[in-house]
Amino acid sequence: MLFFRSEDLVREWCRGQNIPLRPLVRMDQLWGLAREWYSTRLQPDSRRPAPAEMLEIFARLGLTGEFWDPTSDTFGSAKS
Amino acid sequence: MGFDLDVKLAIYHHFAETGVRPSPLQIGERVGAAANHVLDVYHRLRSQRVLVLEADEASIRMAPPFSGVPTQHIVKAGNVSYFANCAWDALGIPAALQKRAVVHSRCEQSMEPLHLEVGLQGPEPSDWLFHCAVPAAHWWDDIVFT
Repeated sequence: MLFFRSEDLVREWCRGQNIPLRPLVRMDQLWGLAREWYSTRLQPDSRRPAPAEMLEIFARLGLTGEFWDPTSDTFGSAKS
Repeated sequence: MGFDLDVKLAIYHHFAETGVRPSPLQIGERVGAAANHVLDVYHRLRSQRVLVLEADEASIRMAPPFSGVPTQHIVKAGNVSYFANCAWDALGIPAALQKRAVVHSRCEQSMEPLHLEVGLQGPEPSDWLFHCAVPAAHWWDDIVFT
């Protein structure tokens, strides 16, 4: 999970690493992810979103498609 | 679960206050328990994907968003400097602390430095991008690589 200056530089990096280009995420979307995952992390009731919640969060932030589907992640309901 | 939660919160508050990982002894002092009992909790928290431990099974590699080891993602908030596990976690640290911060990182291809101010409502306007090579369903197959 890395930062890049531009889409062209992401493409160059993917070619060099022989990794498929994945969906690109804007900084405002990344802030949404960070806030959803971590804003309660120092509080007693903090927990990792369950898979269904993750899908809702991703969709709300405009992140849709198979790449963002965590449903095979069976640990998703564990507190974290 | 009460003791496990106490240990988890002690770990996170140690990171938040100091920017570095705590030892089991330090957590034991915070929660009033022996280090071996703290380690038992570390292992349970690892199985719940709350912690990632080093090979010694006692040192914290990750307590997301905090990293127990140096990384390219440095977050400065107040007088404390933190290492984040990844770009997502670099924004996760100010979100967790609920403090203004500056994220120092880089473009992974060009190595151009990134200096991003993050306020309580989010980062300053920026056209930098985030890219994750691993699909969501496989993030925890190898979380260090992810």
